[in-house]
Amino acid sequence: MGLINYNIEKYSPKQLVVIPLVLLVLSLLFIGFNMMSTGMPVTPGLDFSGGTAVTIRTTDTQDDLRAVFAGYPLTEISDMNDAKFLKFGTMDDAQSKSLVTLVGQKYPDASISQISETFGKSLQYQAFIALIFSFIGMAIVVFLSFRTFVPSVAVVLSAFADIVMTAAAMNLVGITLTLGTTAALLMLIGYSVDSDILLTNRVLKRQGKLQEKLAGAFHTGIVMTSTTFAAITALFIVSWIGSIQILMEISAVLLIGLLFDVINTWLTNAAILKWYVQKGGVR
Amino acid sequence: MNSAEIKAILTDWRVATLIILVILSLVAIGPHIDEKGNLATNLQYGLDLQQGAWIQLELRAEVVGFTTDEPVQEFVTKLSNSLDADVELIDANHIEIRKYYTQAELEQKFAEAGGKLTSYQQGVSKDTGSHVKTILETKINSLGTKDAKVNTLAGLNNVVRYIRVELAGVDMAEAQEIVGKQGKFEIRIQTTGNQTEHVLFGDVITSVQRPQKDLQTNSWGVEFTLSEAGAQAFQDAAIRYGATEDPDNHYLAMILDNKTVYSAPLSSNLASSLKTTSTRRMVASTGTGNAGSDQATSLEIHLRAGALPVDVAVAGSGSTSAPLGERYKMMCILAGIFALITVGCVIYYRYREPGIVLPMVLINASEVLILLGFIAAIKFQMDLPTIAGLIAVLGTGIDQLVIITDEILHEGKVPSPNLYLKRLARALGIIVAAAATVVIAMVPLALMDLSTLKGFAIITILGVLVGVIITRPAYGRIIMQILSK
Repeated sequence: MGLINYNIEKYSPKQLVVIPLVLLVLSLLFIGFNMMSTGMPVTPGLDFSGGTAVTIRTTDTQDDLRAVFAGYPLTEISDMNDAKFLKFGTMDDAQSKSLVTLVGQKYPDASISQISETFGKSLQYQAFIALIFSFIGMAIVVFLSFRTFVPSVAVVLSAFADIVMTAAAMNLVGITLTLGTTAALLMLIGYSVDSDILLTNRVLKRQGKLQEKLAGAFHTGIVMTSTTFAAITALFIVSWIGSIQILMEISAVLLIGLLFDVINTWLTNAAILKWYVQKGGVR
Repeated sequence: MNSAEIKAILTDWRVATLIILVILSLVAIGPHIDEKGNLATNLQYGLDLQQGAWIQLELRAEVVGFTTDEPVQEFVTKLSNSLDADVELIDANHIEIRKYYTQAELEQKFAEAGGKLTSYQQGVSKDTGSHVKTILETKINSLGTKDAKVNTLAGLNNVVRYIRVELAGVDMAEAQEIVGKQGKFEIRIQTTGNQTEHVLFGDVITSVQRPQKDLQTNSWGVEFTLSEAGAQAFQDAAIRYGATEDPDNHYLAMILDNKTVYSAPLSSNLASSLKTTSTRRMVASTGTGNAGSDQATSLEIHLRAGALPVDVAVAGSGSTSAPLGERYKMMCILAGIFALITVGCVIYYRYREPGIVLPMVLINASEVLILLGFIAAIKFQMDLPTIAGLIAVLGTGIDQLVIITDEILHEGKVPSPNLYLKRLARALGIIVAAAATVVIAMVPLALMDLSTLKGFAIITILGVLVGVIITRPAYGRIIMQILSK
């Protein structure tokens, strides 16, 4: 895209990694802090912590709703466009059945979902395993396709930074970890590696001046990121209008992650590659 | 482009494959006007895009590994007594305990019975899991609910811990009632002619065994146990109505929800022993061969009156109302179209060349179409995460088309065919590596039973594969023709 000029010639690799490195350290600290206070790197949502969620499209105010559900452990009400999301703490079978009946009478068009605490725990464990395996699998593919140590590490490192920064940002803006957002984080692993592979491939396998290759890769890479960004923005806007919480959360996480991906690919990864090439790691 | 060139493109096998697949997909999706005059397709929707409810049940049982120095059968019997639970041997060193116990409790009981616990997992064996599934299906079908799905969720270790019941078209309260409902079971005895008298209700049946084959007679049967009081009532009725003297004229009938599910006379052995003593254990035999085995299977379910062999707890549930489902569906279609348009705008901003932008967007759209066709063909249920996956495929798909275009247009020159192929190969190299990472990243999700995310992962993987195998090569062929103009 003509608007942005990518020229990192005048900066040394060290200067380039300063910003992402500071961001990464801050994110790790932030996540670490969250881990100490809640036991999870990102605050778990309904899917993992258990509880009951009710989605209602209504003109009733939050106070009206609080009055209706006074007898139940209502923990949170949030607004999204014309929908209200209610969250309830754990209840026994009888109470939860009576809640279902009450919702059915007062708001027949509501949708309800309920997850027990133990089931949430088991989902959480499985999601964690999935995330670890995905990451390891991705790293193996990267190493197999480049077969050189430093460039592969650079790719894996930027993907790792993407996930960590996005997770920290989720805490910051109040997006919880649910099945949907876990999927989004996994998708990010795939997305972030896309542009990294392009960059590494161009720099290592093409002839020409380093700066030209970097600029050429950026030229292509930024278009790739903006098309993906465009598609996900469309999803975000529509899910906001339609107040579809799960899609909105997935798209928000992807958008945040794509922004960090730009930083991590074109600063972190590019810097490491530049250092590697200048050091004479490539013919 | 003249007609000869167009013909050359269309007859290229890569392009031809793409076109054929798009046509097949359209057929599979089958847009048509339904009887209400609305536009309908063959696509199936999950329970967040249409009215329905799901309930996920946790099976309160354990599969444990054990070692013992005692004879295995004796050990199992001893355990069964001390735990007051059904204990089934799964294989040489694993048993299933059909009652909830913590690992610590079991370790102690195992030690007392002369064995050692080596592993502990909550859930039941695959066999028991599918048995529970059959019971639930039978029950739901007998209640006339048409659109029901029951799935066991087995972990990688083959232990089934959860069962998910999905019921389309009902709300949460109805769903809970259907899943929780028990049938009314009764045994009656024939008195004279067609007259029958009540003997006992299902509540006195204390346990029901799995169907077994009698090795002497080769006949299948289901063994069940009555409580003391039940056994007494059974004996009294048999004597009072003369079944002990003349069994063949006093059939016993088992009735579930007013429907006779089994009817047979007392065996001569049982008839004579009942004259003096009551008996708690009985076998209802159902005959030989496959027919006998099938009947035994359903009789077991009936004897349990729809009750499951293990206790269950509700682990999760959810419901979507009809208007909400409709609205979500509309929004998803909107999101797809909107995404395609915005992507088109970005691409146009970059290349400013309709000759490049149009094929890109069309290829992108065809990819989604092929995926939808596949989804329709395998009757996969689309849910909200699947939609997110589809839009993600749209995003990555266009990325890869950009890589191809830029690689070929490198240095702004239109390449000679030789150089073109070299560049295309290099672009495909990047794409395959990127695609492989996405696939690998999604495989754990596709293999695990994280309920809703499985569909999302499968669709993303499929989307990437369709892209790499079918649409990318076709795009490479089309763009070459356009660029060498």
